[in-house]
Amino acid sequence: MSLLEVVVRSVVVLAAFLVLPLLVGQTEHKVMAHMQGRLGPMYAGGFHGWAQLVADGVKFAQKEDVTPREADRWVFRLAPAVSLVAYLVALSVLPLTSGVVGADVGAGVLFVLAAMAVGILGPLMAGWASANKYSLLGGMRAAAQLLSYELPMVLAAASVALAAGTLSLSGIVEQWHPLWLVWQLPGAVVFLVAAVAELQRVPFDMPMADSEIVFGPLTEYTGLRFAFFLLAEYAGIVVMSLLFTVLFLGGWQGPFAAALGWLWTLVKASAVAFVVIWFRVAWPRLREDQLQRLAWLVLVPLGLAQLAITGVWVVLTT
Amino acid sequence: MTTLDVLFTAVGVIAAASAVLSVTTRHVVHAALWLVVTLGTLAGCYLVLGAELIALVQVLIYVGAVVVLVLFALMLTRAPVGPSAEHDTGPVQRVAAAVVAAGTTALLAGVLLAALGGRTVQIHGGSTTELATQLFGRWVWPFELLSVLLLVSLVAALAISRLRADPDSEVRS
Amino acid sequence: MSDDDSVRTRAERGPERRGAATDNMSDRTMDAEQPEREPERGERGGLVPGIFKGLATTARAMVTPSHTAEYPDVLPDLPPRSRGTIALLEENCTSCMLCARECPDWCIYIDSHKETLPATTEGGRERQRNVLDRFGIDFSLCMYCGICIEVCPFDALFWSPEFEYAETDIRDMLHEKDRLGEWMATVPPPPALDPGAADAAEVTALSKPVRPGRATPPAGRP
Repeated sequence: MSLLEVVVRSVVVLAAFLVLPLLVGQTEHKVMAHMQGRLGPMYAGGFHGWAQLVADGVKFAQKEDVTPREADRWVFRLAPAVSLVAYLVALSVLPLTSGVVGADVGAGVLFVLAAMAVGILGPLMAGWASANKYSLLGGMRAAAQLLSYELPMVLAAASVALAAGTLSLSGIVEQWHPLWLVWQLPGAVVFLVAAVAELQRVPFDMPMADSEIVFGPLTEYTGLRFAFFLLAEYAGIVVMSLLFTVLFLGGWQGPFAAALGWLWTLVKASAVAFVVIWFRVAWPRLREDQLQRLAWLVLVPLGLAQLAITGVWVVLTT
Repeated sequence: MTTLDVLFTAVGVIAAASAVLSVTTRHVVHAALWLVVTLGTLAGCYLVLGAELIALVQVLIYVGAVVVLVLFALMLTRAPVGPSAEHDTGPVQRVAAAVVAAGTTALLAGVLLAALGGRTVQIHGGSTTELATQLFGRWVWPFELLSVLLLVSLVAALAISRLRADPDSEVRS
Repeated sequence: MSDDDSVRTRAERGPERRGAATDNMSDRTMDAEQPEREPERGERGGLVPGIFKGLATTARAMVTPSHTAEYPDVLPDLPPRSRGTIALLEENCTSCMLCARECPDWCIYIDSHKETLPATTEGGRERQRNVLDRFGIDFSLCMYCGICIEVCPFDALFWSPEFEYAETDIRDMLHEKDRLGEWMATVPPPPALDPGAADAAEVTALSKPVRPGRATPPAGRP
């Protein structure tokens, strides 16, 4: 791999990282608005407010970057970067179509999960370093929630990796068969629920529950750092949607996969992102104890059962 | 010196430095965060050595779960912003810790140098398949024993937490 | 699932708790607010159907066109009785001050002076008339109660649906009679009466048979 290639790949991944979350964010603006009988942004950019998030970005850049006096300055300032970089790194190994990937990693599934596990530290650091009780509560909620939901997520991903016989994301897609939609369905449901919880989106947004604890770990953040956290949230949706597509929906598999593989991946991932947005509009927030019950009493057993089914199937068929 | 040597040295130095900072800092949470850096750079060491899977598992388990748990426990108990003197250790303990650390370092260095000397060992077995073959073939009994140990500790932890619960108030389901 | 369990336990616990805690004030009020009977599972639909119901509702709302009025681009179609602002028909005003006195906020300012009109006929009496110098309404104080319009005996004040007169300074909200007069152009004609409603007072008065005794002025009157 030459230096030029590395540069080109990095730039492309960075561009995707900056553009796709904005697309998801704009979709959320419009979809949520229409689901609530509104129109959403209509002015920025002229046509149906397409540039609303660009305008938001400009606004955030103009705002004062406040660090509270009592805060732990370094940790406070570093937290958004930790959140953001984790998802950037995760995005770099997600394949778009056969052979088109930022960096082809052998154990891609583990890589993405590991990168996102590091991203968990962002809200935690933010929550603690803000020296604000609401932030701290939010940080603790985030920690408890992300710890609980990482396990079912890893179990569901492990089931797919077991079925495919490889940890490589491209390899999983190549092994994928439409029948997987049926017998990996429990795993897919577990993964989707855990992914929404990992993203701290409704109905699992207790860490940021604005009606309970102001805005959780982000309470004290302003300006660009706040925007980075929001960008990380939407980048998280992009990463999770792509990962779900690759693991459970067969990535670029579909009619004319040779020519239109990238389109299939994007369409499937967009559908998953749409579902994540849809959840946010349709459902209320769970209570904190319901969250833990759901994780440990429903998702973990389901994930284990799926893993067992997959294991038996793999042993029987090979 | 190859690129990998340089990388390994850099990652190793960062790992060692952050490890030292982790035990010397007076901020409780900073210690945990320096531990993140140490464990992360340790994963980098594995990566440079070609053990991709180990590196990723290291990040996933240690950074993603263990340290998050540590931070959670810290926040749940007491984690003031700023240095806290109450968690400081006395001079005797410090000296003892330094002696133990130096002893362990000397022991490990001695054993490794005696065993390998200046020889260069060809790295192999970094791939996932080979690792799995080794783990579930040659080392399957230690692996299973470790699983049993973990299960025992899990059950024990559960038992302890249930025992301490107030007998009047039922454990809420 | 968690929700199912909590529902069941509440349903099981319900009656005895109600019986035991009658002396508890908060419990009693809670029970009064709650329906007498906990809904059965089938009525509630359960957790899983409820989840999909939520999704279906939002999906239906998404494909239904929204009723949002895009205000600055599309002006609102306001009904004639909208309380947008108060317009003044200066010719009708006699400076009687009724409006200013009835105003709960004291936001109407009226200045007037008397003018003597020369007699129209030779040797006749000179007449006096009030001339309106100033009529101002301070819309920063006005609470749009409409009492001034109600009490005006000569129909000099009208509601207008015009509402776009925001200012950046509160002191600019005091509008004088020229501005109030301009708003007369925006006053819509009164809405048609509802079918079957009684006729307007003027129509009723006109349609009455003329009483013979009133045709000539009463005798005792000068």
